[in-house]
Amino acid sequence: MANQTGKTSQAQERLSQVSSHLSGPSSGKKGRPALLEKHGDDVVVTCALRTAITKGGKGGFKDTASADLLVGALKALISRSGIDPSLVEDIAVGTVLAPGGGATEFRAAALAAGFPVTASVKGLNRQCSSGLQACVDIANAIKSGMIEIGIGAGAESMSTQYGPQAVTEFSELLESHKEAANCKVPMGVLSEAMAKQKGIPRKDQDAFAASSFQKAVAAQKAGLFDEEIAPLEVKYTDPKTDEEKTITVSRDDGVREGITAESLAKIRPAFSKDGSIHAGNASQISDGAAAVLLMKRSTALRLNQPILGKFVQASVVGVPPLMMGVGPAAAIPVVLQKTGLDKKDVDIWEINEAFASQCLYCIKELGIDEKKINPKGGAIAFGHPLGVTGARQVSTLLYELRRRGERVGVTSMCIGTGMGMAAVWVAE
Amino acid sequence: MLEYRTQGYNGYSVKYSPFFDSRIAVASSANFGLVGNGRLYILGLTPNGIVAEKWFDTQDSLFDTAWSEAHENQLLAASGDGSIKLFDITLSEFPIQSWQEHSREVFAVHWNLVAKDTFLSSSWDGTIKIWNPNASASLTTLPTHSCTYSAAYSPHSPSILSSVSSDSHLRIFDLRTPASASNHLTLNIPIHTPPKPRMGAAASVGVPPSEALTHDWNKYRDTVIATAGVDRLIRTFDIRAPGAGPIAVLPGHEYAVRRVTWSPHLSDILLSASYDMTCRVWTDGSAMGVGSMKQENMLQQDPMVYGGGRQMGSMGRHTEFATGVDWCLFGAEGWCASTGWDERVLVWDCRAIMGP
Repeated sequence: MANQTGKTSQAQERLSQVSSHLSGPSSGKKGRPALLEKHGDDVVVTCALRTAITKGGKGGFKDTASADLLVGALKALISRSGIDPSLVEDIAVGTVLAPGGGATEFRAAALAAGFPVTASVKGLNRQCSSGLQACVDIANAIKSGMIEIGIGAGAESMSTQYGPQAVTEFSELLESHKEAANCKVPMGVLSEAMAKQKGIPRKDQDAFAASSFQKAVAAQKAGLFDEEIAPLEVKYTDPKTDEEKTITVSRDDGVREGITAESLAKIRPAFSKDGSIHAGNASQISDGAAAVLLMKRSTALRLNQPILGKFVQASVVGVPPLMMGVGPAAAIPVVLQKTGLDKKDVDIWEINEAFASQCLYCIKELGIDEKKINPKGGAIAFGHPLGVTGARQVSTLLYELRRRGERVGVTSMCIGTGMGMAAVWVAE
Repeated sequence: MLEYRTQGYNGYSVKYSPFFDSRIAVASSANFGLVGNGRLYILGLTPNGIVAEKWFDTQDSLFDTAWSEAHENQLLAASGDGSIKLFDITLSEFPIQSWQEHSREVFAVHWNLVAKDTFLSSSWDGTIKIWNPNASASLTTLPTHSCTYSAAYSPHSPSILSSVSSDSHLRIFDLRTPASASNHLTLNIPIHTPPKPRMGAAASVGVPPSEALTHDWNKYRDTVIATAGVDRLIRTFDIRAPGAGPIAVLPGHEYAVRRVTWSPHLSDILLSASYDMTCRVWTDGSAMGVGSMKQENMLQQDPMVYGGGRQMGSMGRHTEFATGVDWCLFGAEGWCASTGWDERVLVWDCRAIMGP
């Protein structure tokens, strides 16, 4: 018997010796061909979905708490993917406005959605990139072996939580430091200043915003969001009759038809009289939630999970707080360099439209083909629920890449207080 | 291309006899060498194809073999149980000598090509041992403290030998030096040293160390050694300039390289066998007029492609890991034999797969 055990362990040692020969440094290939290779230790997305995104204060989710939106997204994720909830080890939820990072109510939301107590949960906040940061945190935890299966998510109810209470008063110490004090300059004001400084005329901003609406309308009509949106049944108080009723929300209600550059040109600037930014060429205030199921390819194959795409690499870069809009222009070159990609290797760019001005600036600065940017519209058309956007972009990107038979996509966004984040994804 | 099936046994190493152009030895193992028996085949190349003249079965897997340089009927086998066995092919069944000193798998055996009365072995136990076939115990033990996949005598000197191991180092031992604290170790060259930067090309970034699995001495240039391993690159070193890094780097294999061997006929030609199931022929760029540096697009060149070497051909007939390859010492200068985990021995002419 002892001899038998000796033989088994010897065979095991020889096997691991041979497998270490095969798992040496990755192949000599670089750039796009290397990214398209499939390896067992790739971190893959097996399900990505979102709720509809609705207008803050008057849309379908105006009376729904962010944790309830999260419950809806997580429930849909369990039923669509067919994943056994007890296999999920960690859930990271990006959110910006929830007090305390939503830590308590998101843990409760995961339990209510059907996850057992063994699934841990965290809320996190890196401003507008929180949803992406959540996905990246989970992907990195999987890569490092800390967990095997996890969910990157985002949840935001701007209807119920948007307001001055979201930022703590600055201390005298912070106020007395010039760059530190810049961190609390309102988005609109600093974007207006940046548009002026970088010379982005209102005409261009309106044209870009109008095309975002037109693309979103076309995508909605063609049903291109149907795969990624999980319909959600919520309570809704009719503002006219004060009557509470139950409605099913399955459509982005911020998308408006018939918007043209000319119609946008009539809107008054919001932040200064001679300004160029207004409600029509900036992202909308919105509610929603999104969730992305991540695991290693080897795990996905073992569990028979369908593979939608893989996460490759992310970058995060700081920029001056007053120039926060240039974030994507700073973060994208870094992630391209890390992955050995050229910008012409990327098939679709999902760059968040916080403001038409900053998005346009980044596109020009990077020299990207505008046809490849946000092909189904962006935050100007259907909204930017702050902590959700990063996770929302994953489903928007991967389904569109798959539909077009294309492979490589980049998601990116600027981040308030002056940062940029970008990530490379490959659809399969 | 001639073919022989080592039914039920996965090939690990193949060697042409130094005495007969029609005799090949193959070390093979059942169950991919993980557990079970080994078998040493003696194959004859006949007008009717390849026939097994004889085979010897062993208790444990066989990972390498080497023909005696002194006796045309004797050969060594390196076994997974740590033993080294000497077989005589005029006798049946049992080895004429067996040495049991290594504590782990023996992965290489090599006969001294000059003195012909000693041979060496290297093992996963982190040692190289020197033996005399007439002595019952080893003559010398040289520690490498690292799983040593390959060790070989210099074909030019009876007392110089070399090894590569999983610590990514090429070691040179000279037995003429006093056996001091360094145990005859004279050179210890890190294989992963990046090549020297050259004008017009970006400096290559550092390469992480990785296991070295095989190496071979050039048969014409007595200071040149080729190495290869897990990082998929074949490199050549000149041991006169141990600190200078590789003199040639040859990328191309898609998985780890299991065997490299220099041509016995041409000073610049190498043959390799890899886990990517191919055997490839290379020139290291040292022969005149071969693979000269392209001046016009030097900037585009991969900084790891160094020395003007290039792949000259690839043989993709193996359907599993290619593990062993060896040149025929006789006749026309391209004949070679390869073996692999697909239970096959292929005998082929590499001139047929070479491009222009």
